[in-house]
Amino acid sequence: MVDESRRKFLKTTALVGAGITGLSTKTVKAGPKNILDENRMGVLVDTTVCIGCRKCEWACKTAHDLPTQPLDTYEDRSVFEKMRRPDDKALTVVNEYAARETEQFPLNVKVQCMHCDRPACVSACIVGAISKEENGSVIWDTDKCIGCRYCMVACPFQIPAFEFEKAWHPEIRKCDFCFERTKEGKLPACVEICPMEVLTYGTRKSLIERAHQKISLYPDRYVNHVYGQYEVGGTSWLYLASRDFAELQFPKLGTNPAPGVSEAIQHGIFAYFVPPIALYALLGGVMWINKKKAESNKDKEVHHE
Amino acid sequence: MKKLFLILLISFPFVINGQSKFSTTHSNQNLTCSSCHSCTIPTKENPCIKPCPRESMIRVDQKPEEGPRIIVIDKLRDTDIYAPVKFSHLAHAEMSDMTGGCRTCHHYNPPGNVIGCSDCHEVSRNRTDISKPDLKGAYHQQCMTCHRSWSGKTDCIECHAAKEKADLKPVKAKDEKAKRIHPEIKTPDKITYNTKTDRGKLVTFYHNDHTDLFRLECSQCHSNESCAKCHSQIKKPADLKITFAEQHKKCSNCHETKNNCNTCHSNKETERFNHKVSTGFDLSKFHSKLSCIRCHTTPAKFTGLNKDCVTCHGSWSWDNFNHKITGLVLDELHGELDCESCHKEKSYASPSCGDCHDDKTYPKEKPGKLIKR
Ligand code: SF4
Ligand code: SF4
Ligand code: SF4
Repeated sequence: MVDESRRKFLKTTALVGAGITGLSTKTVKAGPKNILDENRMGVLVDTTVCIGCRKCEWACKTAHDLPTQPLDTYEDRSVFEKMRRPDDKALTVVNEYAARETEQFPLNVKVQCMHCDRPACVSACIVGAISKEENGSVIWDTDKCIGCRYCMVACPFQIPAFEFEKAWHPEIRKCDFCFERTKEGKLPACVEICPMEVLTYGTRKSLIERAHQKISLYPDRYVNHVYGQYEVGGTSWLYLASRDFAELQFPKLGTNPAPGVSEAIQHGIFAYFVPPIALYALLGGVMWINKKKAESNKDKEVHHE
Repeated sequence: MKKLFLILLISFPFVINGQSKFSTTHSNQNLTCSSCHSCTIPTKENPCIKPCPRESMIRVDQKPEEGPRIIVIDKLRDTDIYAPVKFSHLAHAEMSDMTGGCRTCHHYNPPGNVIGCSDCHEVSRNRTDISKPDLKGAYHQQCMTCHRSWSGKTDCIECHAAKEKADLKPVKAKDEKAKRIHPEIKTPDKITYNTKTDRGKLVTFYHNDHTDLFRLECSQCHSNESCAKCHSQIKKPADLKITFAEQHKKCSNCHETKNNCNTCHSNKETERFNHKVSTGFDLSKFHSKLSCIRCHTTPAKFTGLNKDCVTCHGSWSWDNFNHKITGLVLDELHGELDCESCHKEKSYASPSCGDCHDDKTYPKEKPGKLIKR
């Protein structure tokens, strides 16, 4: 059993390694999972409607069995005093940007994984733990993840987080587009709870259409930019806003898929190690072996009981 | 054959009923198909309904008392984490008097009765048609726009009870007797604005002259206003730094505001507008019932009109002018005379009699008979 998965691991490492060293962004399409489905889903986030009630944060935690304060504590708006990022304890957070002189209300922006169409995290992962699913979600296989944090470095949106407390085998944490819920035909938890329907769930195609329809119906309300339509080759989560996205801490990204970028970074870091893939394999291998050891120890303990 | 006919006859009403419930009233309305449909031949399968808001809205307006007094909004009872809202429809309808009536919320209405939110907005959020918000989104987008601007609060319990504490008893009968809830909005006669400019600090605005004399509808100036206009506890739209154009927007619909500052701005309070005093043309005689635009046909331009009658009444001449409309029927003798024999001025104001009569003056003596106009 252990042997078999070790073989599988080595095979994947070699495959991904070949992708990174030899091929370019096409690596994403290496596995059958990483093919973009025409009807993949997405979410359109209309930040002009959001009231910053943070119900989505609560729903996300509840749906993912993460510890949370009771719902009514979320009405406390003092959390907006500082900017927050999604982390291992909150897969999504809502930030607030002060109203400008001509505006009556502050602007609230929900942040989570963008579920890129050509995810940098997928190409960066040396064990092939992360994949782009048919329905648009970018999810990971906990059994495969070795906690190396390459995806964290690669992600242009700085999304993947790891459990800080655990130095050994920290588990990746990020928005999984509520994969388990959508599999059962339910809506993502945040989409379902949002009182304002800031978050519209639908096929990416229809969302883009709707986003442009909104812009043309209310040209005064929106800047003419659907963030995520083209950024890094397109993302499943798309944003509309009333001001330039750069002012809302959205990174200014080109239309090229990020994997190319991430490879450049990794190659840069390890410029003096030849060849870099050997190091990946070594590092990854050590981590993986340790993980397996720990797990089989745990298994043994269980068996002894 | 007979059987077939019978089947057809029986099924006919159902076929008719299968059409949309609004269809019976469409024909009574002054409507074109393109008000709602984007294609020339809409079918049931592909009605090609235009996205909301449609360019030409069909509106139904009612008095606040004609609508329901209280509505329990419980369409989302099963899925919602909060209790249904008891919505004071009458109070809100009264408040909307200032903001444009029913259409403040019922922003689109097919012909017929005023329809509710759920007639268009789907209860289920998991849907294929995402061209408009689902019902929960529609409710909250509507409510929060005002409620937030009023109190700045977004707390759910402002409107909802927590589910376990909900009082879902039916609304009491005595509540049904509708009386006004919101006090009648009193319109001010005069408002003096203390502006920040050094080119005439004060703007004296005679509100009721604008509504009565110039016949402006409330909504011509007060559109898109909410409760916050009067009740705001946070920063009002009026406190926001706005551009010159935005600041003058309401006035510049009629007044030229870019150059002629002293039309409105002055260092002291100004008198009420009086057409005779300000322009020398007395409206009270023959023109008091006209709206401004009948004479001042170029919007926002009120100057440059000549006081001479022919400026507007260019076709009038001795042949076709019926003197009766002035309230004085000329006697036979005077009716024969040229207009200019008596009216020396182009304004055709008081006539002079001196050319022919040494001893007669107008209006002591009259060249005919006065009648009631
Ligand atoms: S946002 Fe980051 S973590 Fe999410 S799919 Fe894209 S690259 Fe991966
Ligand atoms: S889609 Fe699911 S995991 Fe992602 S932010 Fe929403 S609730 Fe959280
Ligand atoms: S639940 Fe909706 S309205 Fe509330 S903060 Fe989240 S996105 Fe914004």
